[in-house]
Amino acid sequence: MGEVPLLKELFERYKDQGVVVVGISLDEDVKLVQEMVASKGITWPQVSDADETVRKLYNVKGTPSYYLLDRDGKIVAKDLPSFKRLNAAIDELLKKP
Amino acid sequence: MRLKSFTRRLGRPGSLLGLVLFLVLPAIAQNKPPKRDDREMDRVQAMITQAKKEAEEFSKSGGKTDDAKHPNLKWAATFWRYRLKHPGTPATVVATTQALTLLNRSNLISDLQTKADTLRLDDPAWEQVINVLLFASIKTKDYSYLLSKAEALTQSAIDQKIKARARFTVGEAYWKKGDTEQARINFQTVVAQYPNTPYAEEAEGNVREIELLNVGQPAPQFDHTTINGDPLSLAGFKGKIVVLKFWGTY
Repeated sequence: MGEVPLLKELFERYKDQGVVVVGISLDEDVKLVQEMVASKGITWPQVSDADETVRKLYNVKGTPSYYLLDRDGKIVAKDLPSFKRLNAAIDELLKKP
Repeated sequence: MRLKSFTRRLGRPGSLLGLVLFLVLPAIAQNKPPKRDDREMDRVQAMITQAKKEAEEFSKSGGKTDDAKHPNLKWAATFWRYRLKHPGTPATVVATTQALTLLNRSNLISDLQTKADTLRLDDPAWEQVINVLLFASIKTKDYSYLLSKAEALTQSAIDQKIKARARFTVGEAYWKKGDTEQARINFQTVVAQYPNTPYAEEAEGNVREIELLNVGQPAPQFDHTTINGDPLSLAGFKGKIVVLKFWGTY
């Protein structure tokens, strides 16, 4: 959760270049998620994955975990355990022509 | 009805077998009441809390992991002594795992292996201990000891869960080594041979990941509803760079 401000900053920096964020919460209680999203001022879309369908689809083993997909919907980086690693992967991707 | 046939099988009242069971059963029950197990578990948990506290204080004051005075060494010995003094309870499993985890943390890998060698293949602690060996292997990048132990467990362990965990760990070891084909084969074996263990589902996910979730492969599509009730489809983000953030408030 401590990474939200960093992710928000990254989102603001790169949204004009077509970077979007989708939050997938593994909480069972949707209310908790809604409260957290409101209190942190998160603007990107959130889905509640309480039944773990998306988690299983991506075989996510722990949180937080980031996947990065390119403009063709292909996996660029997976199972990134920290914002730092995600940031590096995005920078790398945007450098490519 | 069941109880009746059970008592009949024990023999008529007054028979020698009946008498022996009459004397022995309460003795067994008294020797190992669940309450005692709970008490011992609390005791070991308190030891873990104390060990953690001492390790944190030590590193806060500048102590290094490899320091001979590190409290982890003292506690590894304490947990191991507990194991030797109190065999065969659920708390023994926890203490054993803790002792070996602390040795791994102190990078005392040969000591860890020597102690692990004293565990019989039917020891219930193996379900956790094999994972400690995996962590040690990842750290040292030497998987030979782990693989030979895990293979032995898949042959000789009695508990299906431990066999499954051992086979699963072989898969994880190959995956970490970069041999995805061997990893896939071992995970598939877990799914096929131990379908009713908690490891089967995890192994199935790993097989999927090895086959379908590689860099360069198309991300799996999903349609969902956002917490605000709006429909969300991954396909709708075509042309965008998408960050999927899996998270939890917990």
